Amino acid sequence: MNVRGPKILFEIPVLGGIPITETILNGWIVVAVVTIFCFILGRNLSTRNPSKRQMLAEKAVTMLRDLVKTTMGEHNLFFLPYVGALFSYSILSSMMGIFGLRAPTGDINTTVAFALIAFFLIQFYGIKNNGLGGWLKGFIEPVPFMLPLNLVGELANPISMAFRHFGNIASGIVITILIYGALAGLSRIVLGWIPVIGSIPFLQVGIPAFLSLYFDLFSSFLQAYIISMLTMVYVGNANEAPSVSE
Amino acid sequence: MERFQEFVAIAPWTMIFTWVNLLILVLVMKKLLFKPVMNMFAQREQEVGSMYEKAETAQKNAEEMESEYTEKLSAAKEEASRIMKDATHEATLRGEQIVSEAQQKASAIVTKAQKEIEREKEAAVKEIKEDIASIAVDIAGKVIEKDLTAKDHERLLEEFIESSGEEK
Repeated sequence: MNVRGPKILFEIPVLGGIPITETILNGWIVVAVVTIFCFILGRNLSTRNPSKRQMLAEKAVTMLRDLVKTTMGEHNLFFLPYVGALFSYSILSSMMGIFGLRAPTGDINTTVAFALIAFFLIQFYGIKNNGLGGWLKGFIEPVPFMLPLNLVGELANPISMAFRHFGNIASGIVITILIYGALAGLSRIVLGWIPVIGSIPFLQVGIPAFLSLYFDLFSSFLQAYIISMLTMVYVGNANEAPSVSE
Repeated sequence: MERFQEFVAIAPWTMIFTWVNLLILVLVMKKLLFKPVMNMFAQREQEVGSMYEKAETAQKNAEEMESEYTEKLSAAKEEASRIMKDATHEATLRGEQIVSEAQQKASAIVTKAQKEIEREKEAAVKEIKEDIASIAVDIAGKVIEKDLTAKDHERLLEEFIESSGEEK
């Protein structure tokens, strides 16, 4: 029983060695799957008598668009592909546990990457909309004394985002490992006295499936929804609608 | 030998790959899913709009045609009633004309007949006068057998003719 990070599959010997881990490989699998899905969903669209496949595509796009529109506003609709990419990448990564693969979102680097994008977008729009001076001034408001707190508050967002997502998925991985270990032990105690059968951990069959239902399906969806929602809210707040007094 | 990364450790390359993956996904979703679906939505909206427009035009046309036909129909009815009236009027006129012509003809015939009768009567009277005169002379000569003077004779004749002419 070992709680470890992602396995390093091989190393590309350039730039001091680029380690290709399970996280990276599984990320590529996600990209491939999403690409295939998008390709299947997005082709042969017709304006009349949509097929079931097209209805699914329409529903997905409309739902996501409405979500982005209500959370970020009409002027931020160009974030739609990013939110779609983030959500699909997150949810499919987390769900990989079902197939016994290590979830890329169970690697802190993946979720930190998500959070850093949101962080930089927030700062970018802060500078763009308030000017560099205004942006800097925002840190000493309402009084200069608040500077450290403002800085901490600003940095806390991406950190909490990254760790929340990582923590949930990684804890799922850890708990699954622990449960398997515990069930193996229990099997040995309960069935260990039977000659051949005793060496097979029978109790490992079935019970983890129910846990998988929570960790791999429910938690995956929830975390993907949360990180997408938080990204939308933070970035949407940083890039508010231009004043109507035009 | 299997090597593992730490459970919580910063691995910059993993982050970079994640960003690259996200970028690829953004492009993929945009190109393969969002753009085609959005284009289809726009096209559908356009089609629906044009359909509405067509329907409205068709309805307008139909209404126009309806009013046109109603107008034409009422005009035709008016025309028909006018023709009927004219025909009736003409027929009445013609009838009256025929009747008056007939009356004229009839009266002309009557007048002519009367004239004829008058003439015939006059001729007859004249003839009778002549006959009566000669007969009277003969009868008088025979009955009286008396010599009358020529003067007497003539006077008597005149008197007779006058009296018989007045009597008719």
